[in-house]
Amino acid sequence: MAGYLGRTFVQLIATLVGIVTVVFFLMRAIPGDPALYMLGDFATETAIVALRERLGLDLPVYQQYLLFMERAVTGDLGRSVVTGQPALTEIISALPWSLSLAVGGLSVAVLVGVPLGILSAIKHGTWIDTAIMLVALIGISFPVFWVGLVAILFLSYHGGIFPALGAAVGGGFWIQIHHLILPALVLGLSVAAYIARLTRSAMLEVLGQDYVRVARAMGVPERRINFRFALRNAFIPILAVIGVTFAWALGNAILVEVVFSRPGLGSTILKAILARDYQLVQAGVLVLATGVVLINATLNVLYGVIDPRMRTGE
Amino acid sequence: MLQSKELIRDGAKVGDAQSANRPALELRNLVTRFPGDDGAFNIVDGVSLSVAPGETLAVVGESGSGKTMTFLSAIGLVPRPGKVVEGEILLDGTDLLKLSEEDMRALRGTRLSMVFQDPLTGLNPVFTIGDQIAGVLHAHRKLSRAEARQTAIGLLEKVHIPDPHRRIDDYPHQLSGGMRQRVLIAMAISLEPQVLIADEPTTALDVTVQAQVLELLAELREQSGMAIVLITHDLGLVARYADRVAVMYAGRVAETGDAEAIFERTAHPYTVSLFRSVPSLETDTASDLLEIEGQPPDPAALPAGCAFEPRCYLGHGRQDCQTTRPALRAVGDSSHRAACLHSSEVITEGTAE
Repeated sequence: MAGYLGRTFVQLIATLVGIVTVVFFLMRAIPGDPALYMLGDFATETAIVALRERLGLDLPVYQQYLLFMERAVTGDLGRSVVTGQPALTEIISALPWSLSLAVGGLSVAVLVGVPLGILSAIKHGTWIDTAIMLVALIGISFPVFWVGLVAILFLSYHGGIFPALGAAVGGGFWIQIHHLILPALVLGLSVAAYIARLTRSAMLEVLGQDYVRVARAMGVPERRINFRFALRNAFIPILAVIGVTFAWALGNAILVEVVFSRPGLGSTILKAILARDYQLVQAGVLVLATGVVLINATLNVLYGVIDPRMRTGE
Repeated sequence: MLQSKELIRDGAKVGDAQSANRPALELRNLVTRFPGDDGAFNIVDGVSLSVAPGETLAVVGESGSGKTMTFLSAIGLVPRPGKVVEGEILLDGTDLLKLSEEDMRALRGTRLSMVFQDPLTGLNPVFTIGDQIAGVLHAHRKLSRAEARQTAIGLLEKVHIPDPHRRIDDYPHQLSGGMRQRVLIAMAISLEPQVLIADEPTTALDVTVQAQVLELLAELREQSGMAIVLITHDLGLVARYADRVAVMYAGRVAETGDAEAIFERTAHPYTVSLFRSVPSLETDTASDLLEIEGQPPDPAALPAGCAFEPRCYLGHGRQDCQTTRPALRAVGDSSHRAACLHSSEVITEGTAE
């Protein structure tokens, strides 16, 4: 297990270095002079040169890269040109909003998707199975921003159950949760449909395995076979999808944030792109990517916990 | 633990005198049917078989002869949409077809158990073997974790797994194929069933390991007096381990009787062909080794007469074989029976050689 954790850790570091590199060169590959963009069309030549020097843009690219890496390691990702605040601080302050939305959405997705998928697999071939899969297909087919608008229309505008907009910034915990429910539902239900379908096929595959027949031949009750025996095997592919959808949820959270006018990483990065605030975009992408990498590392560890064969690398 | 088992047996008892020589498992005219594109067909077509306590019955036949399906029917695990539609399955006198789903479940593992062909896929890869054995124990008995673990260690010892105290916490992938089959056998016999069905238990194993596993089964049978049904296509195993033999073809019993009778006075051409297709040290050249021409018949389209007629060296083209479906009837001593119109011819031919 220690070796397994070690390997996972090394992979994590290597991936992060790769991401930092890609982000850096991606930014340099964008045509135009950042200093010129920042200072505007009427900037004096001396001001531009001074800013280029301050940003280190006068150095050769490889030196810029090394400098960027050196600073990135210490957590210094530059300052936002618009607010003058350290870029990382700006991003970190927006992070909880996106994270709570993504975690909320994913919780909805897992709590709805996994049980429905299991039910569908156990009732394989019956009308219950057909009904669940039909609903799931519909759920996958509708784009999240459309579902968001419809949800606002019926549950907020007509129903008045949930607030339509905002995140109650500065409000109390329960008020913020109340504001979170609708966006989390919207984000989560589309993922739930996906997870339900995957859980069903993973369960069906496991239920067709020889060891399930062996358990039946020895009189192990169906309930025990389904929930204790098969679910654990089925959870390996389900976990993989949860990992992928978390990254997807962070991405879709941007859409949901816009629809619901919530603060968060999505709106912060969007604003930064419009304002050509390169340092902030760089920091935002890096933090998002780090988040995804960390989730994958966590999942890798969880695979090892669920499946003993993973630990030995077989 | 033992008491509850006695109670179940008592409930099924008709009389002591009868139970003494009553078969452990008896199938009477069993029919298992699958729906098909051109109407339903019988994959098991009127099979009658029995196995006595302490006896080993070998069931032989090609793939697709219905031997596995017959015993999946007996244990109540016919894959959907197949269904047992006729006959009786008597386990120590109780007709299993009349039991509820839950009663049937309670009986699997405790009175009737099954070991399958491939030990590599028969164990769940994400649980320790100790957990899996305990899972079977917990399914039928109220035991504490410690008791279950202790019992499991005892069972591993019984199937000769070295160092059971350590091995019990191993995962299946840490064990060899032979060891895994031993674990599966340990699970199958954990609650002392009266009948153990072993479906080609050694096909996936090395030859040396095969012998060990079969010796183990024979040893366990000696100890407990359980009946063993050995489903196999290896006639070498039959000669060594079986008391009685049933040869199956196209979902029916072609020939059945004491192992000795079947070997000495073979009465069905299909059985003769099976023997001829086994390589042995006595066969001089490859030309002596005969394959059975043709394919086993499609169960959805059986010929009107004898199902083996198209491939039979004796009856092919004979009109009576093409029109009359032969029933099982006694040939020689009472327990030796064959479903062939010309069985006396087959016997004479065999003994003349």
